[in-house]
Amino acid sequence: MKAIKLVAILFAALSLTAAAGDLPALSHGLTAHAAKKPAPPLKLKGIDGQVHDIAALRGKVILVNFWATWCPPCRREMPSMEHLARKLRGENFAVLAVDVGENVDTIETFISQLELDLTFPILLDTSSKAMQAWKVSGLPTTFVIDRKGHIAYSAIGGREFDHPEIEQKLRDLLKN
Amino acid sequence: MLVLSIWITTAYATQYSHDPGTGLETWQVEADGIQVRLTQIGSEQAQAFYQARGFSVDNAKYYASSCVFMTVVRNIGDATIEHRLSDWRYVPDGGRPRSIRSKREWGKIWIQRKVPESARIAFTWAQFPNTQSFSPSDWNQGMTTYQLPPGARFNLIFKWREDGKLRRGEIDNVRCTDESH
Repeated sequence: MKAIKLVAILFAALSLTAAAGDLPALSHGLTAHAAKKPAPPLKLKGIDGQVHDIAALRGKVILVNFWATWCPPCRREMPSMEHLARKLRGENFAVLAVDVGENVDTIETFISQLELDLTFPILLDTSSKAMQAWKVSGLPTTFVIDRKGHIAYSAIGGREFDHPEIEQKLRDLLKN
Repeated sequence: MLVLSIWITTAYATQYSHDPGTGLETWQVEADGIQVRLTQIGSEQAQAFYQARGFSVDNAKYYASSCVFMTVVRNIGDATIEHRLSDWRYVPDGGRPRSIRSKREWGKIWIQRKVPESARIAFTWAQFPNTQSFSPSDWNQGMTTYQLPPGARFNLIFKWREDGKLRRGEIDNVRCTDESH
């Protein structure tokens, strides 16, 4: 009985979803940025051992997502990001998921629990310096970068990234 | 299945829910474009969360001895809003208004208690931000702590800015959990 309770506590500790009661709904709004501000640099090692540089993706629409495994809305929105990536496969579109402050083992444990394989790279911001450079003050925070390297949209809090409204916004950016 | 009821307050209705599965209670208020929600986090749950992120048993217990809530703020209006946690106050039953312990204050405690840097980074991002701007449909969640004993009740006065105006709302009769869960 004690072992069952311990497992339950550990599960809750990893996700804290049980603490969220009836979970806050994920939204699908994106905040438009009219100012055409250039995206900050982003060059980090991924869990695949490769270095990923956002500069090498110029010309693509890029979704940059700052997240961590302990963050409940981050965990909830991750499958929708993968669905979006699959919907836009073959287009000039890329996803970069930047994990903040965690190690490869922790991230891979989380990924292995997902029902689908992630096809986009996961970058390691172990010191949270990239997060600070992008002026992120909470997780998850997401940016959409247009083909010219400007921040086109942002979103604070969990989103349903495969929602038709978000997909349409990205398809519109891909046309420009 | 959540049990919903309405608590009457002077300004806004506090929605209360209790999850029989976890035993945890939630209080929520919607006021002029903002939704604020507090959900209890049990001490064992808080302790296990931080132990899993590099805190020693003693330090995780130290944190979990506070009254901890998962705090969610959501912009449900049409204008950008901004909060500063330092403006918020909690008022214990029969007590005076108190400030919420900031991440900075916790950070000093963790340095004194020799918590490793990686654990402190995880701690920082797990707390509710000190200040944040929310566009319409933005929301965020994180932990807030209240230096009160198990079972204590308090009112939370939350403040936010919209178009330069400072606004105020209140969640009444919030209760610290007295169960470890």
